[in-house]
Amino acid sequence: MPTLRWQPIVTLLLSVYGLGVSIYLTITHFDKAALSCPAGGGFINCAQVTTSPQSEIFGIPVAMLGLVFFVPMFLLCLPVAWRSTIRLVHWARLALSVTGVGMIIYLIIAELFIIKAICIWCTTVHITTLALFIVIATASPIVLARDYDTDEAEFEVASAADGSAS
Amino acid sequence: MADNAKTPGTGGNKPKPTGSGSSQSAKDKSRAASRPVAAKGSGGGGNKPRPGGRASAPAGRPSGGGRGVWLAWGGVALVVVIIVVLVIVKVTSGNSTNTNYIATTTAPADVVQGITTIPLSTWNKVGVTSEVQVSPPTVLKNQPPMTLDGKTPAMLYYGAEYCPYCAAERWVMATALSRFGTWSNLQITASSLSDVYAGTHTLSFHGATLDSPYITFKGVEQYTNIPIAGSPGTYTTLQNPTKAEAAILAKYSSSKYLPNGSTTGGISFPFVDVNNSMLFSGASYDPQVLAGQTWSEIAGNLSDPSNPATQAILTAGNYMSAGICQATKGQPGSVCQSSGVKAAAKALGITIG
Repeated sequence: MPTLRWQPIVTLLLSVYGLGVSIYLTITHFDKAALSCPAGGGFINCAQVTTSPQSEIFGIPVAMLGLVFFVPMFLLCLPVAWRSTIRLVHWARLALSVTGVGMIIYLIIAELFIIKAICIWCTTVHITTLALFIVIATASPIVLARDYDTDEAEFEVASAADGSAS
Repeated sequence: MADNAKTPGTGGNKPKPTGSGSSQSAKDKSRAASRPVAAKGSGGGGNKPRPGGRASAPAGRPSGGGRGVWLAWGGVALVVVIIVVLVIVKVTSGNSTNTNYIATTTAPADVVQGITTIPLSTWNKVGVTSEVQVSPPTVLKNQPPMTLDGKTPAMLYYGAEYCPYCAAERWVMATALSRFGTWSNLQITASSLSDVYAGTHTLSFHGATLDSPYITFKGVEQYTNIPIAGSPGTYTTLQNPTKAEAAILAKYSSSKYLPNGSTTGGISFPFVDVNNSMLFSGASYDPQVLAGQTWSEIAGNLSDPSNPATQAILTAGNYMSAGICQATKGQPGSVCQSSGVKAAAKALGITIG
């Protein structure tokens, strides 16, 4: 019987980390002096990435979009959300993780082939988002296969007809 | 689920009340008979999942989603493969290109809008007053009007994408010229990352065109902002001036016309010649004013007359507008008769139209 033992806590930790880095990158978007890049110059160049045209989408800073992603992701990865009997919660978590991984594929293409530099902070967020997607995508079939309230009446009937549940 | 089957207790699955006791439909009976029962332990009743995150699939449903599991792992594999392929392509495509620069790309719509929709009231409010020091241009008298591509009057800009002073001056040109025509294909870029005022966000006129019934504009960006590996302070060539343009540049950048002009024939970036009657040599204001601001921020602030960068850009822009108005003989009147342009003309001692 597949069970969820480590997935809720792992996704919660990943979303907390992603949320923290997104907050930091949003701050550095507006206060360039706050940006501290572990390695500057050459191919690893945070300033080049965070000040590039690709650092904004329709005028919205990508770092802020990270916040928009990780805040709901954090909420959807809380243990209570993983235990939720509302199927929509689990679909929402899965859909958000798919959206996130689609976004990081675009950003990886932008970094590698358009900006031609990578930002360490951004890369850690990309890895975090990818890890979240892997865990959530593989856990979702388990939680979505649960028996939810909407199926309850059907099974009640089945039990009665069978006669074994008296 | 055989593993879950326990002897039902008193609180197990009870039949729904039907009202008549034995009126279960044939459809329900048929369905019930064809499905195994998800028997429960004692108490509680119903089929609600147990709290605590442990999954319990109902009978008749594949454990863990069956097909869903394969779909999930397939999706994960696909994403991982895409990312690995991207990295491999990048690594195998060679890393010989020096990447220490900000790439030039088409200006986003919000940047173009910020440049081209500055209210006349903002231009007039700024006039020629700026918290930041703005250097007035050099005014020439009795010079023949400039002809470019057979058209007159004309305006010529000569600069380079790496040059931080050009970065500051392009905002002036872009805003001033947008009053006389319509920009197409404006680009955004940034000055050299290894020079002073590193990475100042700006525009590039390479490939950009101004469609104007009043004046012909040519912008020459001699160099990119892409450093040449192993040769510090040098950048790849982007565009050379034509012979006619080179002749104009050589003549008017000399010390004969410019107080700080070259005596040896060299030309300093940026150099702007408005119809051979007004020259801008070097930046009109300190590029430091733009430090730390993105293209969108600079462009977005251009309608705010209290913003220091906006004051510097529009003050120099009013000077430039006055020079263009002198060349166009006061056309269009909506610009050339505005109080901001008149104030600039008065400060420069020139007559418009």
